[in-house]
Amino acid sequence: MTMQPFAYERAASVEDAIAGLARVGGDATHTRPLAGGTDLLTLMKADVFAPARLIDVKRAAGLDSGIAATDGGVTVGALATLADLERHPLLVGPYLALAEAAGSAASPQLRNVATVGGNLLQRPRCWYFRNPRTPCWLKGGDGCPARDGENQHHAIFDTRRDDRPCVAVHPSDPAAALLALDAEVTLRGPGGERTLPLAAFFASPTDERRLETTLLPDELLLSIRLPAPPPGARSVYRKAMDRKVWAFALVGVAARVNLDGGRIADARLILSGVANVPRRATAAEAVLDGAAPDDELFARAADAALADAAPLSRNAYKVPLAKALIRGALADAAGMGT
Amino acid sequence: MPTAASPDRVSVALTVNGTDHALLLEPRRTLLDALRHDLALTGAKKVCDMGNCGACTVLLDGRAAYACLLLAVDCAGRSVTTVEGLAKGGELDPVQRAFVAADAFQCGYCTPGQVMSVRALLDENPAPTDADILRAVSGNLCRCGAYRNILDAARIAADLGARAHANGGSDADAVR
Amino acid sequence: MPTPSGEQPQRLGVGSGELPRWEEGADLSIVGRAHPRVEGDAKVTGGAQYASDVRLPGQLYARVLRSPYAHARLTGLDTGRAAALPGVHAVLSSANAPEIAWYEDSLLFDRTLRFVGDEVAAVAAESEEIADDALRLIVDAYEPLPFVLDLDTALAPDAPKLRPSGNLNGEPTVYERGDLAAGLRDADVIVEETYVTQAALHNCLEPHGCTAAWDGDRLTLWSSTQSVFDVRQRVAEALGLPEHHVRVIKQHMGGGFGSKQIAWKQDVIAALLAKESGRPVQLMLDREAENLAVGNRNPTRQRVRLGAKRDGTLTAIAVDAAQQIGAHPVGGEGADVPAIYQNLYRCPNVRTEQRLVFTNTGPAVAFRAPGHVEAAFALEQAMDQLARALDLDPLELRRRNYADQDQAEGKPYTLPEALGRCYDLAADAFGWAGYQKPPAAGPKRRGVGLAAHDWAGGGGSPPGYAWVKWNADGSVDVVTGTQDIGTGARTGLTQVAAEELGLPMDRVALHLGDTANGPYAPVSSGSATQSTIGPAIRAAAADAKRQLFEAASEFLEAPPEAMTIRDGKIHVAGEPEDRATPVGDVTAQIAPTMIQGHGERGPNPEDKSVRTVGAQIVEVEVDTETGEVSVCRVVAAHDCGRIINPTLVDSQVIGGVTQGIGFALFEDRVVDAGTGVVLNANLEDYHVPTAADVPPIRNVHLNLPDREANPTGAKGIGEPPLIPTAPAIANAVYDAIGVRIRELPLSRRRVLDALATREAPR
Repeated sequence: MTMQPFAYERAASVEDAIAGLARVGGDATHTRPLAGGTDLLTLMKADVFAPARLIDVKRAAGLDSGIAATDGGVTVGALATLADLERHPLLVGPYLALAEAAGSAASPQLRNVATVGGNLLQRPRCWYFRNPRTPCWLKGGDGCPARDGENQHHAIFDTRRDDRPCVAVHPSDPAAALLALDAEVTLRGPGGERTLPLAAFFASPTDERRLETTLLPDELLLSIRLPAPPPGARSVYRKAMDRKVWAFALVGVAARVNLDGGRIADARLILSGVANVPRRATAAEAVLDGAAPDDELFARAADAALADAAPLSRNAYKVPLAKALIRGALADAAGMGT
Repeated sequence: MPTAASPDRVSVALTVNGTDHALLLEPRRTLLDALRHDLALTGAKKVCDMGNCGACTVLLDGRAAYACLLLAVDCAGRSVTTVEGLAKGGELDPVQRAFVAADAFQCGYCTPGQVMSVRALLDENPAPTDADILRAVSGNLCRCGAYRNILDAARIAADLGARAHANGGSDADAVR
Repeated sequence: MPTPSGEQPQRLGVGSGELPRWEEGADLSIVGRAHPRVEGDAKVTGGAQYASDVRLPGQLYARVLRSPYAHARLTGLDTGRAAALPGVHAVLSSANAPEIAWYEDSLLFDRTLRFVGDEVAAVAAESEEIADDALRLIVDAYEPLPFVLDLDTALAPDAPKLRPSGNLNGEPTVYERGDLAAGLRDADVIVEETYVTQAALHNCLEPHGCTAAWDGDRLTLWSSTQSVFDVRQRVAEALGLPEHHVRVIKQHMGGGFGSKQIAWKQDVIAALLAKESGRPVQLMLDREAENLAVGNRNPTRQRVRLGAKRDGTLTAIAVDAAQQIGAHPVGGEGADVPAIYQNLYRCPNVRTEQRLVFTNTGPAVAFRAPGHVEAAFALEQAMDQLARALDLDPLELRRRNYADQDQAEGKPYTLPEALGRCYDLAADAFGWAGYQKPPAAGPKRRGVGLAAHDWAGGGGSPPGYAWVKWNADGSVDVVTGTQDIGTGARTGLTQVAAEELGLPMDRVALHLGDTANGPYAPVSSGSATQSTIGPAIRAAAADAKRQLFEAASEFLEAPPEAMTIRDGKIHVAGEPEDRATPVGDVTAQIAPTMIQGHGERGPNPEDKSVRTVGAQIVEVEVDTETGEVSVCRVVAAHDCGRIINPTLVDSQVIGGVTQGIGFALFEDRVVDAGTGVVLNANLEDYHVPTAADVPPIRNVHLNLPDREANPTGAKGIGEPPLIPTAPAIANAVYDAIGVRIRELPLSRRRVLDALATREAPR
């Protein structure tokens, strides 16, 4: 469908934008910020929601698209596009996973427009959530039609009704990579700025907050900071799709490995496409840390990562798929890939 | 929730194919609908209207983008190039000539978008590899299945561009 | 070239049956050569006008409200607020629309809705946005009814019924020859398996739709259709108009693939909205509607039995096919699944049974080689399995069961050697005989697979007409009511005209797709446009040429029989080349008298069967850990008789194989079992191939003029290249991983699930 009517404003500054969001008491159904718009506009066209006003933040002072080296790490402005990330000379070696994840997302045209901030804030692609004909809990309804329905693309973790009211998966590729790089995000709201680990920014939706992030409705995501990586760290992102390109991940894996004297240290392993939010495989990281890298270790790590998996009726295939991607990603990150 | 009671229109100054247009549009009007309905530039096609197919690909400040996922009001002050803006003085762009030569289409509905994606690629990378080409058109669906010929067309267009470049920079524009 | 002889004096024009054949090796200068598409420049500049691109003064835009229920009765409908919305000019529903019969037992706006997407109401407004706003303001109420969404539930004994007669559309169709039971008894080896094919969505990039404009009581319809005459007939009938008051135009079309071979509701809805509003109305379906309401490839379940002797000789072929045709019999919904079981292989004992099953899903309609694509997936995998059971090369098994006649019709083929030649060409080009599997690289396994096809179409048939008008300057307008649906018909048909007329391509303009201008031509389907209209055009050109020669006879002082035209000049036998006369000299002399040629498609041979055949071989790589299937290369060889334009044929083959890759690997409509909602009626979740999914495809040219099909020797190639691709890929996957997957598509999920429950190789 086409979108319902709305008013459009351009914010001159972050302060203006936040004031505009706060003016309606942070009512996210009334006013939404607009950056790349590649997710927001599709949600509006699908009638998932219909804000009365969009505040365009692309030219707001205080927001930028810069990617810069800072204090041994890298800072990424929230307006940086996926195309900016995909080809930035800083995003190699320890940061490579981010460039690979951005480059594997969507299509060239979308990467030219979609911002990294919007990418982290995008809503699930669950085909019940996105279809105006099918009510669901995440849209404010009661049940989750995917849990016993067409759930081939859905979660394999925390899938019991007691675990979570929703089995949609977070669709972002860069999110997994950023988590593997220990990213922090800086947010700004009416009360000022706050910085928190990206891991705390994502949170499974709850009855009170049917969203995948803890960003408040009158807050803006300003920037992402990647701290200095451990010396010698390498990271990769591997993704399985239902066709070669331009599809959301069935499963994605971001892995970072730091080889210290022949042993792995500071391993990071994040899975996308398997849970409400990108999932850190801490049990697998524990298997890896301190161990000498070889295929057998990677296989044990993969098994550990999936040990708690509880697939739905149609997505058991994601378990062997995730394991295979994990083994491959770890081997590549450790420089042992074929 | 608002209804269509009073769709307020706003002034939008669009620069399309080098020409300035002053339009009065609802903010919800996409760039694609503005092109197709308000400017009668029907080269860019509406196929999915959700950023899934690439038939509406235009150049926004020189880079390929889906016109269906851009608000027209958001494009004010930016440069929009559509397929209608490629041929100069009745002379087809090398990409357009290459598409005809390679039979890089059948029904032709995706073609304006494919042409723009290849144009964007060659503007950035005049000597692409096959992998570069396939990546550049990976956001453009062709249901007739002309992809292999589109790959050929992009190779030919790159070659035409290289030859024009070898004949001097001004010739490159002449060929465009 | 001699003029046609034996004409009936009182008859206007020439039938193609009267033409001398273009034999193999005939000296042709335009036919058989690559020529760029005549509409190429229009398509690369954005200038080509499609139904969606029509812009008329005051034009409105229409949208359709569709049933949210899989099966329901409409109990309330209030369109008052929608009609009152500023910018809305017409609202149409069962409350105010004329009762126009539609499908077999339904109405244009029926109060019984039989699938999610069935039409409830329509709105015309000043923009698509306002029309959508109006739809949101319509208050609709329904009484939901029990529904069935798939073959299993629809065929269950206690299933909810779509119609009082049940869920079968008519009685099962049974074909039998020989004695199946005896054939199975005689077999040394029997293969018995069940195969499942999915609902594929056409996803033509240009949605179905049209622009309707009235001038008084006369209607012009720019429709995205494969058949301007069928749309005209249907719309005229529905609106009670004489046919000459309805003009249907289609110049360019963004894909049809069968789904636009009939008139759909929007042609009439747009006309009614335009009447009601007094303004032109454009009604293009949005992507969801396109994928709900205007066709899909029918899902099938096929139980296949093959029996063979130890040496591979087939003794029995049987199939029980259930086909899910959706909610309405739209015409062309019952795809011909049995055909290739009856004809692809020589076998004395054959039984096919076909059941067409109604479900509360969108109506099925022809989709590129309907039935054959579904059937080949099953039969050609069964043949592969049989070959392995017999320890025979799959190609050798096919050769041992070679059919050189149409066994269902009991007639010889016009080109009985064609399939064998395709086997040879494909096998040689691929390197089938000496193929060595590369050693397994980690989890990756290579495999090769072969599949053949037979196709009932491609031959064309009467009626079909064309006119040639010779202008004063010697140029020619060719007029016919056919369509170019993206296949290149405009170019191929122009080549036929130019060849027969002896003119360069740029001296011939072909006009098509307009009921007001051209004589009747049938729907562009069945891969038949070139073979139906090509001969008619050639006949019209021959008729015009004969008249030109008669006119020239006086000026050139030579008998017409001594004349030929080459490169736009009339040559007289025995005269020096440089004395040739430009045709324009003659046409200018007689102007304004105009030479007009009339041609019609002659009959096909009565005692022969005209069909098309082919074979494809693919190599795949399967990642046994991630389930990814990559097609590495494809070699195709297809019979389409004489190749009119090798570039166009290559494009059709490459395109068909590309669609076949999508059908094999990812395309699959997903219907929610709880509601009947199609969850992937979009191009995000319904995956068609991208450029990265398609490997090099080599099309080897057979280019064997069909001696008896028609006097051009050409047959169609539009549909067949899609038929063998999916089974060839499935056979290659089996060759790679030793697991037989009998349900499409071969997605990662299906491959990984199959590997997880790895069955013993058979």
